[in-house]
Amino acid sequence: MRVSLISAERSVFEGEADSVVAPAYDGLVGILPRHAAFMTLLGKGIVRISGSGGDKRVQVAGGFLQVARDVVRIVAGSATPADS
Amino acid sequence: MAKPRELRRRIRSVQNTRKITKTMELVSTSKLKRAQDRVVGARPYAQALAEVIEELYAPELAERFPLLRQPGKTARGPGVRRAALLLITSNRGLCGAFNSNLIREARRRLEEMEAQDTRTELHLVGKKGVSYFKFTKRTIASQRVDIGDKPTLEHAVELATPLMERFAKGGLDAVDIVFAKFNSAVSTPPTTLRVLPVTPPAQRRSGGRASKAAVNYILQPSAEEILRELLPLSVTNQFYRALVETAAAEHGARRTAMKNATDAGSDMLTILQRTFNRARQAQITQELAEIVGGAEALKG
Repeated sequence: MRVSLISAERSVFEGEADSVVAPAYDGLVGILPRHAAFMTLLGKGIVRISGSGGDKRVQVAGGFLQVARDVVRIVAGSATPADS
Repeated sequence: MAKPRELRRRIRSVQNTRKITKTMELVSTSKLKRAQDRVVGARPYAQALAEVIEELYAPELAERFPLLRQPGKTARGPGVRRAALLLITSNRGLCGAFNSNLIREARRRLEEMEAQDTRTELHLVGKKGVSYFKFTKRTIASQRVDIGDKPTLEHAVELATPLMERFAKGGLDAVDIVFAKFNSAVSTPPTTLRVLPVTPPAQRRSGGRASKAAVNYILQPSAEEILRELLPLSVTNQFYRALVETAAAEHGARRTAMKNATDAGSDMLTILQRTFNRARQAQITQELAEIVGGAEALKG
């Protein structure tokens, strides 16, 4: 599935992934391919995007996550790369 | 005819000035590139926010969001009674008519609003705007000159939050931003954008309903809660984009201004150099004539 992680200043990640774990406002959510259309608010925490090339971890705060037609879009109020 | 020595001095001075303007042009070009990247980088975020707000927005929800409050509906009199205008200018000059264009647009907007009996307060970003409105002795509600040419999201938050709070409480009926829209490096028209109240998406496009039906989202929490979070983000983002676009436009304007100055300097040099050569030749001819004349006289 396609994943894009966008912050107000730039596009942080764009590409294919096998799974995404994101901090929603009330706890972690995991997204696998073919997830139902879904939208939630983000809290503070680390987004983990796992794909064939390994994991990518990004610290986010605020914003939202949207899944539609196998496309995951994470729009973060702020995003900084986190050390893995 | 001017003396060769004077001409040589002028040539040197024009050459030095041209060296400076040429360098400033190069500096602006590289800064413009980076500023332009920031403008482009900010686009997907704004687009994503706008799309989602459009998908979630329903006219029934509008009354529950203070940021969507339209003037005239809740205010006692019709229309906007108190408004704020945020003018973004640059801190530095030497960029042609860039700042004066922005100031002119702001003044036009102020006059327009005052003609409609709107009490308008003025918020300023950038030294050029501040010094102009200080000179005209207009009351300035707030001013800041520390943003420079690399605006960050925090700057936008600091500018937007107090205005949003006052708007939500009813202290303001409208907020406008005057900034330089960055169409391209050479097209940066001063633009007025009404950021508050937020224009409901339904007014912009009638197709909002159709796209909403296409994807049936599981929403967590409710659409209302999500909108409550996203509307302020979207407003802040508009402030951020205004800052970023103005910064990029400033470099574009400076590059153009400096290029014109360099070209004008080159033209001037050509003429000066030609005049100098002619003056030098005339002097040599005259000296020769004097020597020949002297020798003739000695022969007797």
